[in-house]
Amino acid sequence: MTSSPPRSPPQVAGISLSGRTPYVISRQENLELCESTGVAPQGDHRAHPIYFFIATQIGMGMTVAELCAVCEFNVDDGPMIVSSTVGFSQPLMVEQAYRVTGEIVNLTRKLSRKIGVMDMLEYRLNLSRPDGTPVLVTTSVWVLPRGNST
Amino acid sequence: MTIAAGNVLPPFRVECVSSEAMKAWAGFLRDPNPIHLDPRAVKSKGLGDRVINQGPANLAYVINMLQRAFPAAVIRTIDIRYVDNVFGGEAVEASGKVTEVIESAGEINVTCEVWLRAEARGAVISGTAMLSVPAGA
Repeated sequence: MTSSPPRSPPQVAGISLSGRTPYVISRQENLELCESTGVAPQGDHRAHPIYFFIATQIGMGMTVAELCAVCEFNVDDGPMIVSSTVGFSQPLMVEQAYRVTGEIVNLTRKLSRKIGVMDMLEYRLNLSRPDGTPVLVTTSVWVLPRGNST
Repeated sequence: MTIAAGNVLPPFRVECVSSEAMKAWAGFLRDPNPIHLDPRAVKSKGLGDRVINQGPANLAYVINMLQRAFPAAVIRTIDIRYVDNVFGGEAVEASGKVTEVIESAGEINVTCEVWLRAEARGAVISGTAMLSVPAGA
């Protein structure tokens, strides 16, 4: 349960999260990832769909620690992911280069009875092939708990 | 297989969430957060006394369940909430239920409620997914 926020969070909506280096899902890492979850990889060059999260997270223009810092939050204070949405235009493939574009959607301050002051960070990332063909769009929401220090 | 609203999807079970797999996921995600690697870090944050599985790894179990239930399908959308942590050594089970089936243009669009539950504790992920299955598959 949340109520009125105590004061405004940093103004970060619209900050670019576009990456500079293409991300490639290696066949070997896909094999290891699939096995770590108890399945064999697809035999047709398709990567595990969970790479929607991994590829965008690594391929975006900031590390999670840097993204937290932009929000004036120390990553060591424990950001918590609360939701993920993704819409695929096509499956992810191993050994295919992808590029990531995106931006911070908003950062909203709330007061939680359970964890005190917290910011809800929402950002959207797009994965595409180097020729611009869209592959997926994903939105993540994280809680940045600020306790009672703000 | 006939796909119909109300069908319960076969569960995908992980008998023991592995701390070794968490180390591998720290590499996949390039995320060295110690709550996934060191029980002392978890304890110091008051989150328990066992390492915490990475959220995307939990979601991967749900995706495995969907891919086993619909081997010929492609996933179109996933929309989930991470509602609780999964701890090292726990048993978890992913499953779901078909909520809507729409046939159009040679494929069947199947919407499912999905979840991951930790044994004896309840839901740790809940949400929906939509898949497209080729007609006749």
